[in-house]
Amino acid sequence: MTTEHLPSAAPSLARLIQELNKLPGVGPKSAQRLAYYIIRLPSEEAFDLAEAISAVKHNIVFCQECQNLTDADPCTVCSNPQRNLEQICVVEDPLDVLAMERTRCYQGLYHVLHGAISPLNGIGPEQLKLKQLFPRLANPQVKELIIATNPTLEGEATAMYIARHLEGANLKVTHLARGLPVGGSLEYADELTLTRAFQGRQSV
Amino acid sequence: MPSPTEYRARQYRAQGLVLKNVPFGEADLLVTIFSRETGKLKVVAKGARRSNSKMVGHFEPLTVTKLALSRGRNLDTVNQVEVSHNFSPLRNDLTLLTKGLYVLELVDGFGSEASPNQPLYDLSLEVLNALVENPNPDLVLRYFELRLLQVSGFMPELFLCVECRQPLEPEQHRFSPDAGGTLCLNCTPAGVQVRHLSLRALKVLRLLHRNRIDQLPQLQINDALEQEVKSLLGSAIDYWIDKEIRSNSFLKQLEHWSKSRVSSKAASPTQQPED
Repeated sequence: MTTEHLPSAAPSLARLIQELNKLPGVGPKSAQRLAYYIIRLPSEEAFDLAEAISAVKHNIVFCQECQNLTDADPCTVCSNPQRNLEQICVVEDPLDVLAMERTRCYQGLYHVLHGAISPLNGIGPEQLKLKQLFPRLANPQVKELIIATNPTLEGEATAMYIARHLEGANLKVTHLARGLPVGGSLEYADELTLTRAFQGRQSV
Repeated sequence: MPSPTEYRARQYRAQGLVLKNVPFGEADLLVTIFSRETGKLKVVAKGARRSNSKMVGHFEPLTVTKLALSRGRNLDTVNQVEVSHNFSPLRNDLTLLTKGLYVLELVDGFGSEASPNQPLYDLSLEVLNALVENPNPDLVLRYFELRLLQVSGFMPELFLCVECRQPLEPEQHRFSPDAGGTLCLNCTPAGVQVRHLSLRALKVLRLLHRNRIDQLPQLQINDALEQEVKSLLGSAIDYWIDKEIRSNSFLKQLEHWSKSRVSSKAASPTQQPED
């Protein structure tokens, strides 16, 4: 959307609408509503929002170890002496680290790939943070690599790529279990999920 | 009162191969399906990205699904879905999986929206099954490329010179995707790309054209000939699809990787340990 579409809007307002319109999922009408909402906000709240955006852009960097987004390098996980240095868990996105941390069942380190191999979208291994992963695994302290990519075609392709790359390495490579979600129903499970659930069944 | 041909039921059923999916809105998926009944179809699966959704896992590419759909103003919505087939052996091998995705990308490129192409639908399922079963998946891909051109109406001429229309003599020839197929050595139409075509490659193309997919395992060709046929068919596919085939670069990378591993394994027994 350009300012030409809003001849009556003040230039600064038109610019705000134009910038908001660039956000994913925000169309021209939503951008206008958001802009007018921001105008009606108390000044301190609007400045807080602007400052938060500015701070994120200025302070957030990639952790040199795990490639997660952080404002202190190395990040709080990598610099925590209580973490288990023998395990590295590979995830696709920073949000996956938060999901894993919520479980409180994992005490090892992470590695964030920032995506997954997607041949249909032209995303190859060179576009992921894989280059930074393999040198970390050369450290003899690391005993296990846990692949926690999403159970999608792209996630599976990424997992297979990593496993293939590490064939013959003196490292235990594991993959999160595939199967039925808690609270789910067998009736609605797809064939592949049920097959994987059968393959991964455990003694009770 | 609409006539029977004008009447379109609000709800309908379709069976189709999932070509791709992209996140849509908060938790929905925009799924591209190649359907036997309607050709390429874009539908919305509401809430399909939620882990507790009844539809989760049903819209992965390389899945054949049965769908119950509702017509929408812009996009149709999935009401129910059931997986009929998922080519699971393809998902256990990275190279085979990428070859399967290459098939999907070409079906997506050559299939048209709201225009049924049943031969293309049948071909894609036949080829995906053959990728699982056939010991030579590369030959299956070459078969697919040639048949894809055929069922899409772009079959290259393999028996006559496209310029002088004379039957080809058994010698070396040339191939031009933009001229429409083979050229004899006497004809050189202006302004078209011309490639070398060996007699053996021409024979392989004719064999792929004449044989059924289940007869392919009997066809043994060496690497150089396989590369020539691949390059010829690739040029025809590139010419007609007129866009980048994204899965190709990753496929090339994997093939290069496999070859370098095979050659390093072959070389290793003769290598002397370093002191």
